[in-house]
Amino acid sequence: MLIVSGPTGGSEHDGGGHPERPARIAAVMAGIDDLHLGTDLQIVAPYAANLAQMTRVHDTAYLDELAAFCQAGGGQLDPDTYATADSWSAARRAAGAGLAAVDTLRQRDDGVAFVVARPPGHHALRDRAMGFCLLNNIAISAGALTANDERVLIIDWDVHHGNGTQAIFWDDPNVLYVSTHQWPLFPGSGTAQEIGGPRALGRTVNVPLPAGATGDVVRRAIGEVALPAIDDFDPTWVLISAGFDAHRADPLAELVLSSGDFAELARMVAGFAPRPGRLVLFLEGGYDLGALRMSVAATLGALLGDFYQPEDPTCGGPGTEMVHQARAERDEALHRAWSLAPSERRVR
Amino acid sequence: MSPLQTIAVGFDGSFDAEAAVRWAFELARQVDADVVVVHAVGLLEHAADRGVAVELEKTVERLTREAGIDPARVHWHLADGDPCSVLIRAVVAPVAADLLVVGSRGQGAHAGRLLGSTSLELAEHAAVPVVIVPTGREGQ
Repeated sequence: MLIVSGPTGGSEHDGGGHPERPARIAAVMAGIDDLHLGTDLQIVAPYAANLAQMTRVHDTAYLDELAAFCQAGGGQLDPDTYATADSWSAARRAAGAGLAAVDTLRQRDDGVAFVVARPPGHHALRDRAMGFCLLNNIAISAGALTANDERVLIIDWDVHHGNGTQAIFWDDPNVLYVSTHQWPLFPGSGTAQEIGGPRALGRTVNVPLPAGATGDVVRRAIGEVALPAIDDFDPTWVLISAGFDAHRADPLAELVLSSGDFAELARMVAGFAPRPGRLVLFLEGGYDLGALRMSVAATLGALLGDFYQPEDPTCGGPGTEMVHQARAERDEALHRAWSLAPSERRVR
Repeated sequence: MSPLQTIAVGFDGSFDAEAAVRWAFELARQVDADVVVVHAVGLLEHAADRGVAVELEKTVERLTREAGIDPARVHWHLADGDPCSVLIRAVVAPVAADLLVVGSRGQGAHAGRLLGSTSLELAEHAAVPVVIVPTGREGQ
């Protein structure tokens, strides 16, 4: 069973010619339609996240100013990021769509949820919008889960490092953040030496990858660098920052994955969920509409046990050495940090 | 205190950033320091052609000539990232700046205190002294 929370953002928060645009939602929904799920599809209407839910991960002063900025008509927040008059309500609904997905899975105790919502969220910091993101949707849901004593694994396979999510949970031992991303690339963070704060050593895992990296390299990054930390963490929920801009057709980056690679990645990370009903995907990037449609269909098809693979997985690209280097740099950073930390804080 | 050797100045092509570069050049001449002009390449600029960076570099060359500073002491540094993070990282190699200089408001900045304020965030997080140059004060 696929639970779609949304869609929301299909007409509002329109920057006019900006690649992060409402048409992305129609492309995603077309990808879902391609699976012909019939009664295996449940649509959940999103609601707007409230202040208490948002302030678990965002500062009140930032939320107040963002709301006021939108109410005044919006504009450019930085060279990449815009807000319009309706962006505040759109962002709150996108955040609420994640919360609704979690609520639904908790009630059903079965299925997989996909949050079809924009604006995306993983660059949004506690006190700042950036990288097309206003509110950190996945962090708001993870914050709701950890408030209920859950242990949340976040896998971020967007081509850009999710600096906002990493920063928000930097020192939170109840969240394990794992990111594979092109490097160097915006936002410039996400080195393997970034391993988490003093209370959460090892709870951040970054594997930077070079331009041209293929799907096999991304899977190797998760398997060789992140897997020990995931096994040690033993998550009760798995949330995915599912950006599809690592696809070779995407105009914003230079990884060369195919839609088939996202299917393989989905199968891999689904295995980290402790049981059915504990896996939620959040739409992040993905700016080529055709690639977005195919990749969504392939990803969800894989999670539902269907074989829908319009493109073969890719292999043979550069990056294996960088994966090995990331493993070594992470081990060294952990070793250095452990030598200064109490033993109970040790995480592989 | 060790002498000032490298000044990093953020540059996004805005009027305020030009003021900051002029101020940094003047200081560098007085204390015999190098200047690294740092430009952060954002999401959209990365996807665009490299014409933006080329134009900005030409502007820096013009500002260098106008300031009468030795061009060999001026360096151009491009880095993917948001302006604040890129400048914070400029304190380590390869830039290794002893001082960061920014304009009071860059591209896209607005009247709000919290949103899009590179200069304020930089002042809060940077590991070296930060100078925020108010527009119109670069020659003082």
